[in-house]
Amino acid sequence: MKLLGAENSEEVQKLLIEQFEAMENSLGGPPVVAVVRHLELAKKLRDEYQYRIFGFVVAAHYPAPAKDANGVGELIRVSYGLRSVGKGTKLATWQVCIPVDGAIPTLVPLFAGADWQEREQFDLVGVRFDGHPDPRRLMLSEDWQGHPLRKDYAIDTKVHPWR
Amino acid sequence: MAVDESYRTYSHPVYDFMMKVPGLDVMTTTVDKLLSFGSEASLWIFPVATSCCGIEFMALAASRVDADRMGAIVRGSPRHSDVMIVAGTITVKMAPRVKKLWDQMPEPKWAIAVGSCAISGDFYRNIYSVVPGIDTFIPVDVYVPGCPPNPEAMMHGLIRLQEKIRASANGRDVNREARPEAVHHQRLPRLPILGDPARTSELDRQQVASAASLGWWDELNLEQALDSVAKDLADESESEPKV
Repeated sequence: MKLLGAENSEEVQKLLIEQFEAMENSLGGPPVVAVVRHLELAKKLRDEYQYRIFGFVVAAHYPAPAKDANGVGELIRVSYGLRSVGKGTKLATWQVCIPVDGAIPTLVPLFAGADWQEREQFDLVGVRFDGHPDPRRLMLSEDWQGHPLRKDYAIDTKVHPWR
Repeated sequence: MAVDESYRTYSHPVYDFMMKVPGLDVMTTTVDKLLSFGSEASLWIFPVATSCCGIEFMALAASRVDADRMGAIVRGSPRHSDVMIVAGTITVKMAPRVKKLWDQMPEPKWAIAVGSCAISGDFYRNIYSVVPGIDTFIPVDVYVPGCPPNPEAMMHGLIRLQEKIRASANGRDVNREARPEAVHHQRLPRLPILGDPARTSELDRQQVASAASLGWWDELNLEQALDSVAKDLADESESEPKV
């Protein structure tokens, strides 16, 4: 199976591992970068490597501890993807692990397209994006309690009065 | 080529009777039956088409099936409509909007649930964001099953609704059956209308203010008019002699 991390070009993979001390992903996903260097990495990819299009941000909740030292205890894995069209369509992906009550710096100042995607991840998974200009829910109603794509969200949670 | 008058795709007892009696141009009936005939022959539809059933619904209004030949035309405003056709999955976020539109329709009104999502939620039933059937919040007269039902099935649903209206005019009991736990939501309007004891003067004021915010309503000076009406009513009740 081709790993998602293998989508990265050689120069991006080299940048991630040598300059940003990215660790191998225990689940076989893209390389894991520390939260404190996340914003710096995105800025560098945009300005120096021509990854100017915001591809995606996808978060997933892992209730059990990961298999190795990548993460300890319950955590949220946030995957990012940037695209470049200047050098052929290429993808640069990396992952950031945060605790469930942790926050991650927003990419909205760098990429305007990150706005709604980050709002969606906040809405459904409950990732807190520090410095987001408009941190409201995107899909569910504003008075919704909880984040339904967390693994501990019960399927029969009452949504008054419709369910 | 002559028109074959014996071939009619849609018939009605009144038409049939008048066709059988030669020279008949006047007939007597009761007002109830006349009104119900008017209702059933001009079912104006308010569509709530949220997913693939909506595409089949468009075919219902288009020329091949043509709901217009029995007087059912599609309207864009709930205030012009008699029957709400809910075709598609209704989410928890959409449900209050549908309920609000239902409350805006004038009586008498009917509802048709088209497709398994509107009826029961189907296989989206257990998803956090989906309402398990629209009869949890509005009373439904006719259920048209299918995923999606074809336009002929929806036409059949409209004809069943006409039969229901005719039966109620004839005095038969055709009350809508509701889920017992849902009756409260179905009967409770989100905004109390005029004359409702639950309506407060604060709500009057807010509605007038929102109307005034449209601009030209300022000239009508509605707020002052409302105050004077309230004052008149208060004076009337004070001066009314106690029996």
